[in-house]
Amino acid sequence: MTLNRAPLDPKTEACLQEIGSAEIVVGIPSYNNADTVGHVVHAVSAGLAKYFPNRRAVLVNSDGGSSDDTATIVARTAIDYHHLLIADRQSVLHRIVTPYHGIPGKGSAFRTIFEIARRLQATACAVVDADVRSISPEWIELLLRPVLEQGYDYTAPFYLRHKYDGTITNSLAYPLTRALYGKRIRQPIGGEFGFSGALAAHYLDQHVWESEVARFGIDIWMTTEAIANGARVCQSFLGAKIHNQKDPAADLSTMLREVVGSLFASMERHTRLWSDIEGSEPVPVFGFPFEVGVEPVRVNLERMVASFHQGLADLGSIWRYLLSAETMRTLYNLNQGEGAAVHIPDDLWVRIVYDAAAAYHHQVLPREHLLKSLTPLYLGRTASFVLTTQGLTSTEAEQTIDHLCRTFEEQKPYLLERWNQQSSQPAHQFRVQTIPDAGGDHE
Amino acid sequence: MNELIEQALLAPLELLAQHLLAVLPNVFAMGVLILGGLLIAWLSSMLLERFLRVIGLDHLSNRLGTTTALLRAGIKTDPTRLIGQTLYWSIALFSLIAGLSALNLAPINQFAQSMLAYVPHLLTAGVILLTGYVCSNFASQAILIAAVNAGLPPARLIANCSRWGLQLLAAAMALEQLGIAEHIVVVGFGITWGGLVLACAIAFGLGAKDLAKEFLERRMVRRSRGGETDDLHHL
Repeated sequence: MTLNRAPLDPKTEACLQEIGSAEIVVGIPSYNNADTVGHVVHAVSAGLAKYFPNRRAVLVNSDGGSSDDTATIVARTAIDYHHLLIADRQSVLHRIVTPYHGIPGKGSAFRTIFEIARRLQATACAVVDADVRSISPEWIELLLRPVLEQGYDYTAPFYLRHKYDGTITNSLAYPLTRALYGKRIRQPIGGEFGFSGALAAHYLDQHVWESEVARFGIDIWMTTEAIANGARVCQSFLGAKIHNQKDPAADLSTMLREVVGSLFASMERHTRLWSDIEGSEPVPVFGFPFEVGVEPVRVNLERMVASFHQGLADLGSIWRYLLSAETMRTLYNLNQGEGAAVHIPDDLWVRIVYDAAAAYHHQVLPREHLLKSLTPLYLGRTASFVLTTQGLTSTEAEQTIDHLCRTFEEQKPYLLERWNQQSSQPAHQFRVQTIPDAGGDHE
Repeated sequence: MNELIEQALLAPLELLAQHLLAVLPNVFAMGVLILGGLLIAWLSSMLLERFLRVIGLDHLSNRLGTTTALLRAGIKTDPTRLIGQTLYWSIALFSLIAGLSALNLAPINQFAQSMLAYVPHLLTAGVILLTGYVCSNFASQAILIAAVNAGLPPARLIANCSRWGLQLLAAAMALEQLGIAEHIVVVGFGITWGGLVLACAIAFGLGAKDLAKEFLERRMVRRSRGGETDDLHHL
């Protein structure tokens, strides 16, 4: 394996020389998070002081050029250990505030954190988002202790979230990861992870830092890469996740493209592995589960439905290159009505996702176009999910998600069949009936 | 009488025969050049096609979307065959010009020279047209998806306009390259394009004032389509 070094700031290099080595590295990627980053630094510092008082630890803030006071807040946030009833802090917590290099995005920020962890020869690392408002010192223990003391390589978070919070996770990332790799990791793109220093070094050595992985695709990539490389994986119950919206400048289709692109690219890299896996198995969960109230989520159903129907009207000529004729027919037959009618049941959604994955693999369209054209379908599925689960409790909604996951697992032979076809044939036999000249130019 | 026949009939015939004899090697050379050229064209195109099939050009074209683009243009031949045929006809054309030059006749030489001088322009124009076509399809697809994702109602209209605009630009550039009514094409294109932009601006400003206002408000104030915001966290 070649040593793939990430460039570091000269100041950071000097800091690393001074620190020498550390057992624990906790990374906070940030970009204009002045409102919340102070609380995150507090929680991390308190968590390290309370649960790992004797271990040398370094807090790394990898910043994407924030124009607010994020970096200053990280550097200057003072911790009053006395008020936290922490008396035996024996090791000084070093802080490194550094800009990252490369493509602007969360993945590039993580890359810098991994590089620092490797230089410091860290045994265990954790990363936490700078926008989390519900983080507590216990999160640090729960993310790091399985790695430090239980022999695990990767700790994924397990949160309680509102049924409409994390819709990409619920409709795509979790069911697809579970069906492909056979591990029930509930929050594969959670944002908070614990992992070993060896796994961080492995991540660094992969040549993916110019792809979607450098952006929002990092979370799902870390999880799939850990599973695919045989790492021991566990989950830690962290309670509720309350966070600010991700980079408000990033629109949904870009975010979806990065996450789904990363997922599909991982599928290409690990085809042999997931092809042989049937069903799924639970992944151990550490921590003490408890019920907690979550913030209500307002949903603008009308906007999602409108976007889906516009997709039906305008993108049919593109979708027929990635969806099978049968999938197209079912999709249009179920959603011919005007108004708020949107119905994408589990089996149809699974086929859409599997068709799209196979189309990505066979490159029937430019990949950027393929991934971005999925946005109205995803919004349609989300609207359909909202309509189905409107009156349900969180537990009942969770059962609905579990049903979706089982459908993903049951339909896996369909994915394999589509994946192994020589090339995906466009659904020429299908014609969009609802629009007379639907993209005549694309036919 | 005999003298008359010799002077009036045989002398021209003799002259003609001399001319024919003088030209015959050239005609023979022309035949050899054309037939040889056709043979080389056939052989080269066949070998090239076989080579391209071995390296899997058709599969690559499928992946890059070139086959689909060709199908949309009404070309049902696969890319390998298309390249083979292009090579065949290029060699055939060159051998025909070379064959005609072998006759060593001033008008034909002049014609052949002007044909040869025109070939680079022809090839450039062809490349411009093909590139324009592929780029216009790619761009219009990207614009269509982006417009739908942005919730713009005339998404298809915008995509179609962009495609036809790019194809028009490519056609104007190709015609200029071919030297066909150079100035008329450039001026005509400039007037048409400028007029279109102005018309769109006026139409949008006057006719769709409210739509423009709503669009700008939505983009700048980040107000959602339904007027109601949501807290949906997708990740």
